[in-house]
Order: sequence, then C-alpha cells, then structure tokens
Amino acid sequence: MKESTNNKAKWEDQVESIIKRFPERKEKFTTSSDTEVKRLYSDESNEEIHKLGYPGQYPYTRGIQPTMYRSRFWTMRQYAGFGSATETNKRFRYLLDQGQTGLSVAFDLPTQIGYDSDDVMSEGEVGKVGVAIDTLHDMEQLLDQIPLDKVSTSMTINAPASVLLCMYIAVGEKQGVSLDKLTGTIQNDILKEYIARGTYIYPPKPSMRLITNIFEYCQEHVPKFNTISISGYHIREAGSNAVQEVAFTIANGMAYVDAALESGLDIDAFASRLSFFFNAHNNFFEEIAKFRAARRIWAKIMKEHYKAKNSKSWKMRFHTQTGGSTLTAQQPDNNIVRVTLQALAAVMGGTQSLHTNSRDEALSLPTESSARIALRTQQIIANESGVADTIDPMGGSYYVEELTDQIEKEVNKYLDRISEIGGAVQAVEEGYMQREIHQNAYETQKKIEKEEEVIVGLNKFQLDEEVNPDLLKVDEKLEKEQVNNLEKIRKQRNQDEVLKTLAELRESAKNKNSNLIPYILAAVKAYATLGEICNVLRDEFGEYTGA
Amino acid sequence: MGKIRVLVAKPGLDGHDRGALVISQALRDHGMEVIYTGLRQSPAQIAQAAVQEDVDVIGLSSLSGAHNTLFPKVLEELSKRDAADIPVIGGGVIPSEDIPFLLEKGVKNIFTSGSSTEALANYIQELIDPKTKEMIPPKKIAHIGIAVKNIDHALPFYTGALGLSLEGVEKVETEGVKVAFLKIGESRFELLEPLDENSPIQGFLDKKGEGIHHIALEVDDINKRLKKYKSENIKLINDEPKKGADNSEIAFIHPQSANGVLFELCQHLGRSED
Repeated sequence: MKESTNNKAKWEDQVESIIKRFPERKEKFTTSSDTEVKRLYSDESNEEIHKLGYPGQYPYTRGIQPTMYRSRFWTMRQYAGFGSATETNKRFRYLLDQGQTGLSVAFDLPTQIGYDSDDVMSEGEVGKVGVAIDTLHDMEQLLDQIPLDKVSTSMTINAPASVLLCMYIAVGEKQGVSLDKLTGTIQNDILKEYIARGTYIYPPKPSMRLITNIFEYCQEHVPKFNTISISGYHIREAGSNAVQEVAFTIANGMAYVDAALESGLDIDAFASRLSFFFNAHNNFFEEIAKFRAARRIWAKIMKEHYKAKNSKSWKMRFHTQTGGSTLTAQQPDNNIVRVTLQALAAVMGGTQSLHTNSRDEALSLPTESSARIALRTQQIIANESGVADTIDPMGGSYYVEELTDQIEKEVNKYLDRISEIGGAVQAVEEGYMQREIHQNAYETQKKIEKEEEVIVGLNKFQLDEEVNPDLLKVDEKLEKEQVNNLEKIRKQRNQDEVLKTLAELRESAKNKNSNLIPYILAAVKAYATLGEICNVLRDEFGEYTGA
Repeated sequence: MGKIRVLVAKPGLDGHDRGALVISQALRDHGMEVIYTGLRQSPAQIAQAAVQEDVDVIGLSSLSGAHNTLFPKVLEELSKRDAADIPVIGGGVIPSEDIPFLLEKGVKNIFTSGSSTEALANYIQELIDPKTKEMIPPKKIAHIGIAVKNIDHALPFYTGALGLSLEGVEKVETEGVKVAFLKIGESRFELLEPLDENSPIQGFLDKKGEGIHHIALEVDDINKRLKKYKSENIKLINDEPKKGADNSEIAFIHPQSANGVLFELCQHLGRSED
C-alpha cells in the first residue's frame, strides 16, 4: 500500500511539472453528460497496481508518458511514396496541409535493395511501391520546401539505411538546419528483413556493423534521430501471431543492443534512441494487451538484464500501423471499418505514432481520396471518440490485464528459447523464426478456408458482383524518366570526387574498426549513386542469399 | 502419371513471400512436388529453373506491382528455351483491370488475394491432368435404399415373394440405422430401419411414410468428386466422405441439386472392383 501511495505521489509530481511546460489539450475533460473525465482511473487498494506502474513510470504498462494523450495526441504519420521524388513531394505537402504531423517515406524496391533505377534488376520495379531515390538530387526534390527542423521524417529503409540517412543529413545541411535539430526515424532493422520482409543486401554480421556504426555516429552528430525502428509489423504481416510478433521483435532488439555493447557503446548512450514498430491486428483486446505487455517486457529487460540506469533507456516508444494483410480485396470499403478498429486498439494501447491503412491497399497503392479517409479515421478517433481523454482506459479490466500477463509469460518463453539457440542472429541464420511464422501463417490459411475463421466479404457475406474501385496507377513512363535523370546526374557530377570518395569508403569497409558513416556521407555529397555506394559494400561484405 | 511438379517463383525484388510459402505447402499437401525459388529471381532465372527441374506448371507471385513487366518476361524467357508449353499462372496483389492484359500475354490464369488454396490445387490438377476433369461416371447403382418401419416385418416380401437372398444385417450407429442387404444382380436393396427417434430415417418415415429413400452410386473417386462438386456449387449434404456400411466411404448429394432425388456416393474400400 505504501509503495503505491509513493508512486502515486511521484506520478502526480511529474504531471504537475509537465503540464506547466506542456499544458493539457483542455482545462477540463468531460463526457457528453458533463461528468468530469479524470486523468487516470486506478484502484489504490489493489496490490496489482505495483505491477502496472503509473503512466510514465516503470515498467510503463500504462504508457510511457505521465499525461499521455491528454497533452498531445499521437503523431499521425501516413506512410506514402510512389513514382518520382517530385510526385511524392506533392503528396507529402498535401498530407501536411491536411493536418498530418509527420512524414513517412516509402521507397521503391530498387532503392530498398540498393540498386540504381537503371540496374537490370530494377526493371519493372522503379517507383512502384514507393519513391525511387538514386542520388542526393532525388532526395533534394523529395524534401523540397519541407522544413526539416519542423517536420520529423520516418524512412522505411533498412539494408541501405546509412545511405538514405546520409542523404537526409546532406539535405538538412543544405537547408541550413543544424544536425541536432533533425528528427525522425530510419527503420534500419535488418534482422526482420531476413525473417519476414526480404529487402536484405549483406549477410548478418556486416549488416550489424553498419547498424552499430549508425548508432555511434548519430549519438554524436544527430542526437534526436531514432536510429532504428525494431519492427514486429512485418513479422506479423508474414503470418505470426501476437505473441510471436512481440517475442521476435524484442529478441531482435536485444541482438542490436548486444551488438552495440560489443562495439563499446554505453547502454544509456544509445538505448533511448531505439524505437519500435508494431502491427495493429484484428483481435481488439489482445492487441491492446500486446502493446501493454511489450512495453513492460522491454522495460524489465533494459533495467534488469542490461542494467540501464537512465529511465529513458527503459521506455519502449513505438509506431503502429494497422494490419495490411487483414485487408480484403473484396468489398474494399469494409476495410475502413477494420482499420478503425485496429487504430482504436493501437490508441488504447498507447502508441506514439500511427499509420492507418487505406481501404484499397489490398489492390494497389492508395489513391489520394483513400489516403485522406485513412487519415480522417485517426482524426475522428482523436477528436470525437473521447478515448484519448483519460490515460490507459483499459487498465484494470480483468480481461485485458489477464491477457497482458499471459502475453508477457508466453513472450518470455520464446525469449528463453531464442537465447538457448544463441540469440536472434543465430536463430535467424538457422531459420527458426521463419519456420515458426510460416507454420502459423499456414494454419491461419487453413482455418480461413475451412471457415473456422470468418473474414467478412471473403469467406462469408460475399457479394456476387464486386465493384472495382478507382485505383492509383504509377505511370509506366516514370521508369524511363528516372533513368534519364540519373544519366544526367552521372554526367554533371565531378567524376574524380565520386571515385575518390568511393575508394575511401572501400578502405573504410576493409577496416572493421572504422565507422563507415562519414565515408558514406562524403560519397553521397559527391552525388555518388545509391547503387554505386551499395556495390562497394557488396564487394567487400558479400551478399546474403537466404537461410 | 507421377506427381505434378510445380515451380513457385518470386520474380523481381518483392520480398513478400507469405503467400508463396503458404501456397507451396498447400500444394505439397495436395500431393504435388513443389520447388520454391526463393526471393529475387529474374525472369531468365525462373525460366531456367523451370526447364532444369522439368516442371509441369509455374506459379508466379508478385505483390509489388511489377507483374505487367515481369510476368510477360517470364513467358518470353520460356519461349527462348523452347519451353512455352509450360503453363504459367500468377497471383498476388494484381488489380482486376490488369488481368486481361496478362491473360492476353499468355498467362493461363490469375489467382488474386482471397483465392482458396483448394481452388488453386484443383485448377492445377485439371490443367495438367485433364483426365481428372472428365471423371469416370459412376460404375453402377450400388444399392437402392428403402425406408421401412421394421426390417423383420418387411423381409418376407423380399426374401419370400421376390425370392432375393439376404446377405446380412448391420447396425450403423453413426447413422442411427439398421440395414438389411438383399442382392439383386450386380446391385442391392438396402432396407433401412431407424434405430431411434433421432434417426434421419425416422424423419423420413414421419414425413413420407415407407418407400424409396435414396439411390446409391458406386464410384472410385469419392474425394475428388466431392471437391469437384463443391467447386461447381453442387449442393452437398456431406462435404467430406464419412464411414458407411460394409467398409465403405459415403457422402450424400442434396436432393435440391438432383431433381428431388437423394443420391448417395459410395466407394467400397479395398474392393472397388467388386
């Protein structure tokens, strides 16, 4: 009892000092019937309260901030990008005008795998699933008239994350923004690429080196940038269940921490820049419990296992995206409802930022009107539903608390198993997680086909005639234009400077103790292409070909 | 013919292979041999693998929007290797408006998101082995089922007046029925007596009184036939075969799909040539 009273007093102190600086959205929150909505509901007589922690207090079951959405809503961050940099820039500026609060860049597959648009491997893929970036010139166009000191940018880029980060830094410099003002996130999570997403380039060991090089460089030069977004999203999309999503993500997170520690970094120097990325799937309460459990597990690991001292290192901050694979191509408007429920679960689970999928994503990239409905969905949840007016509204629910405990227990079992295998890197190389996920994906498919799981519009409540919605088409001419532009840049740039910076990068790659980032930055500034830079590293590191 | 060999391939740079992996396993479960190429295969590599592995069919999976470029390239590469006769089917995130273009280019069929693995397996089966489509018709009338209130009271007419020989009497508890078998030529009569109030035969008697209950057709391929009927939307009472009398597997077709007649399919195990 005494402890809880102390914790409560501590939380109240925190709240008091925070709202002086960042006032809450309203002076008084009320229901439609004018009942006051309290900041937090809890049961002081319940011993269980210690296990949860107050909001902003270890182990953060109830959220990582003392006031959560009472002060500020989550960041509404829609993932977008297609075609050329100029076209994507237009969509970004449209979304910012519509009230979006952060950018999220989708890159095309050649960019994600480190091929230039004119590479033979890129044929047919240029600008298809995201924007094509070959050189710094493309990045300059992508971010044209977007003030990088005011907008935070998330980039879904992994194997070549270092190159795109350097391009972003270079654009920031050109805009005259000092590096410590740059905010955003690079995904930079290579382990889940081997497990689930497939856009790897190099084998695990040199990939881990690139990642720790980024940690080290950013800690010194770009301290507000999130250097990694450890992603369960794609693990879930590949077919895992909720427990596996959390377990494999945290196991990967531990592998990155281990690698950074091994390279000599101090835990509290980098841990606060680690961020996470989860999926919001269909099972409403399980998803809420999943987010709460994930926060608690990570906090315990950071504090107890890694002995991090700074409380910032204990806090799991995460982005959430609604589950793309839950969307159906049949009756696509139904997807708006799915996305709403999933987004609501993410908000009730205390996410820091959120992407809501568009209704047409089982068919193609979203059209502008679909992307707007998706953003509006978040705005309606935030502004109209009232769920953001009190902290952790599901806290104390018998069902959700039990589910939270259960997920924590099951996740820990997986973590033990992975640790027995020798950690996440080893488990990935042996294909352990891949097998577990595939097995679950196959079982799910069988259940759907046997109609043990109902998917509305797919195996029940079908329509005889499907209406084909208008879809976004990427202009086939784009590939050619992008290739022509690239050719122009190759002619205009200082060739000697390119060759020199690439040679220096190669030397740095050969020396295991060298940090590659300054060399990549120099090459980027000389307008070396993404492909040229990645090919130097391919030569030195080799390529991964599968477990 | 031997096992059907399928090459499942991921052309281009797309890394989403959940679908490709699930389909590979499902086709294996349907008795096919599946070779999965792994990620990032060029059209030339896919055609090469298809020729080398001597596959019967190629399944391409793409979720990145590059299908209009890559699928036709695979067909071109097959032609270059004199292997244009290997049928190519596709799947993934493919907008319906792109399908006519792909079919025109020579892709045999496109299975998009939400297609069942069952339908895909049947499609491949029929594509490669058209015989499976023209199934051998039922061989004979296995029996005619006649609902009776009481076998003992009914028997004298069949054995006495008609002079048929009684082969045996069996209780089929799962169906709630007692059955008497009477041989007639290559066929039989089955007299069906309800074992209890819940027996379907009791239901029949209450509704219609004694009389012809069903006609059973002897088949060799009950599983395949049920799958085919299901895909053709023929209404079935039993989606899967169940155990019947006399070491047989049986399933009923709904009278709604058969002009008001209740047909039973039955396959005798281990003595199909009987």
